[in-house]
Amino acid sequence: MKHGIAQRPSRLATAAVAGGGSLAKATRFVLLLLGIAIVIQSTWVVHARPQDLITGVHGMVDIIRRAMPPDFSKFPDEIWPTLETIDIAIFGTLAGVIMAAPLAVLAAANVTPSRALYYLARGIIGFTRAVPDLVWALLFVTAVGLGPFPGALALSVHSIGMLGRLFAEVIEQMDMAPVEALALTGARRMQVFTHSVVPSVLPSLLGISLYRLDENIRTSLVLGFVGAGGIGFQLLTAMNLFQYQEVSLLLIIIFVVVITAERISAILRARLG
Amino acid sequence: MLKVTRLSLCYPNGKQALSEVDLDVKPGELVIVLGGNGSGKTTLLRCIARTLAPTAGQVWVDGTELTRLAGEKLRRARMALAMISQHASLVRRRSVIANVASGALGHYADWWTAFGGLPASELTLAMDYLNEVGLVELAAQRAGTLSGGQAQRVAIARALAQRPRALLADEPVASLDPEAAEDIMCLLKRLAKADNLAVLCVLHQVELAYNHADRVVGIRDGRIAFDLPREDLSRDAVRGLYLSEAA
Repeated sequence: MKHGIAQRPSRLATAAVAGGGSLAKATRFVLLLLGIAIVIQSTWVVHARPQDLITGVHGMVDIIRRAMPPDFSKFPDEIWPTLETIDIAIFGTLAGVIMAAPLAVLAAANVTPSRALYYLARGIIGFTRAVPDLVWALLFVTAVGLGPFPGALALSVHSIGMLGRLFAEVIEQMDMAPVEALALTGARRMQVFTHSVVPSVLPSLLGISLYRLDENIRTSLVLGFVGAGGIGFQLLTAMNLFQYQEVSLLLIIIFVVVITAERISAILRARLG
Repeated sequence: MLKVTRLSLCYPNGKQALSEVDLDVKPGELVIVLGGNGSGKTTLLRCIARTLAPTAGQVWVDGTELTRLAGEKLRRARMALAMISQHASLVRRRSVIANVASGALGHYADWWTAFGGLPASELTLAMDYLNEVGLVELAAQRAGTLSGGQAQRVAIARALAQRPRALLADEPVASLDPEAAEDIMCLLKRLAKADNLAVLCVLHQVELAYNHADRVVGIRDGRIAFDLPREDLSRDAVRGLYLSEAA
């Protein structure tokens, strides 16, 4: 008898399962409606008009026609701005790493020397990250004038926030057992840090820095649009002067720089792993 | 060499983890501590190493009373007391020899070691310590590539590089296979004799205690249940430690 009862689900249980099933269906339906509503409102807010794409095809074809062939005679003039773009990223990343590393140590809960410094470091990291790099570039262009230096400063400051947060996370997730073991040998605080914390997290920090360099090279292209030097500034000038053949040359250079940086960064990161 | 008198620890919630523990480990002696889970074995080692602050009692290492010390004085005193644990706790990305030599860092106060350098003289000594634990051929290998038994031997070599007078071992063979566990216990016993170290080792493996200990200490509910030479240790006494846990 007991065996029979155990095998057959009770009416109450069946009703509960059925009730649970209809609730799940209703939830799915509501989520679907919500998803559709979000898509509709975003389409409305951005004034999406697909017909404009069709009517604009003539204009786009005209620009492409005028951009061909790329004006390779201008290539020597673009070498210096290209170098500027790459160097803005290198300087920005390097300065960002130098400033982010000590901040990350203070902002990592497991190694920070005091709670006050922890919150201060977290605040600086949060603020430098929250302000977009383009806004930093505008501020530095106003402060130090046009050219690559404000771009490099903008990337440095924004990288402090981006790198500081990631560095701090790596330090917080590290295995603390070797750190405690070394502290118990009687090693000094600084020795424990350099001989245990640094070797444990260094490969991860280098990997993150290389990834940031790759990102910064792409960002430094855009910074030129606000007067912060580099190839972006050349692109903006060529577009304003309707020199589309130069624009197409610049786009080819940008493509090559971005892909090369991405590949080099990926290869180096793979070697670190 | 290592002397513990009336050592007690009472947690803020009122739980008495250790009650008036007395213990004396002489140079060249391997003393093994047995006891059930939660009996206070590891707490005893942590109080001796001062990673936990005992509420009463004294710990003497090579004539220095540790419980009164703090800060720089405690750091200096700790150099006479090495500790190894269940996991070797090596810096996995550093070489074996760098891990061993880092055990001696406390003896140096120069900028070179503060910024990640290792003293050249210590590298030579580290090779000797690796030789003592039978791993000299792995000196250049990354610590992360070692087996559990090899890593534990390197941890012991790092402890030797500290040049301690006493060695605390907290379940050093818990994660090792029986053969590696036997090797590690033989090594600890040999080092105790050869280097005149006072070795206090917490174990769960009763057979290893019977085979290697000079003395066996039983702990039950934070108190010393017995403290006997190995040859006087009865199976009933050991069983009593674990029976009380089951009850």
